[in-house]
Amino acid sequence: MAIKGKLGRRGNTRNRRTCDEQPLDYKDVETLEKHLTAYGQIQGRRRTGYVAKCQRDLKLAIKRARHLGLMPFVG
Amino acid sequence: MTTIYEGMYLLDNEAVRQDWNAAKSIITSTLEKHGATVHTARRWDERRLAYPIKKRNRATFLLSYYEIPGENIPAMRREFELNDTVLRSLEMAVDAIPETETELAAAEQSADFSVPTPPDDDAIDEVEVIDDGDDMDDEDGPRRPRTRRVSRTEDDTKAADEKKPADETKAAEATDETASGDGTDDSKKEGATAPVED
Repeated sequence: MAIKGKLGRRGNTRNRRTCDEQPLDYKDVETLEKHLTAYGQIQGRRRTGYVAKCQRDLKLAIKRARHLGLMPFVG
Repeated sequence: MTTIYEGMYLLDNEAVRQDWNAAKSIITSTLEKHGATVHTARRWDERRLAYPIKKRNRATFLLSYYEIPGENIPAMRREFELNDTVLRSLEMAVDAIPETETELAAAEQSADFSVPTPPDDDAIDEVEVIDDGDDMDDEDGPRRPRTRRVSRTEDDTKAADEKKPADETKAAEATDETASGDGTDDSKKEGATAPVED
């Protein structure tokens, strides 16, 4: 019963969100900061809920913002 | 082949305080020197940096859109790196210039526009949203109380308690078997080696 319950809760269908409506930009620091952990690390796809392409865009945008000093590398 | 590029440049606030147009012309003249056609160049923002760059805690950001042959970019980047006024630069290819960008750049060139003097290097930006540590009055509403989901029923707990002693006895039996099994293995080994010695 416990295993069945776990599978039912996780399931195969997860609600994924895309960045088509609002593309991720390195200048939009407020949006990017939402996807950082308390230590300044980029959150994973399980946490952000983005599809793979948008997660790559997020990674690139955060790294660009870090390069320009808009966002921290650590903490 | 020319491609449209977006460039963001961090300018030293000391140069911006002296003359904004002179600081801006450092970027535009360098771009044009390397064969670029500058479409727009405007002051994007002045803000505190997340970490010190070239011993500066604050910088003015200049955003520009231009077309440039791809083979000229490495030399252009090298020149920006050597310039002390430009703290850091970022160039990236874009599909098109944003629609709002031309309007904003035109607004900067108007006579009414004046660049605000940058604050001191140690100045801290005012925090707009103050977190008071109280979630109850936030716009998102009160936080959901933490609860542990328990799926077990009473029958399950009883069955689990009954299984526990049985498991313990099984484990004890298993240890006894392994202990006796070692002894038999040794005797077998002795028996196996005896004929070889003879």
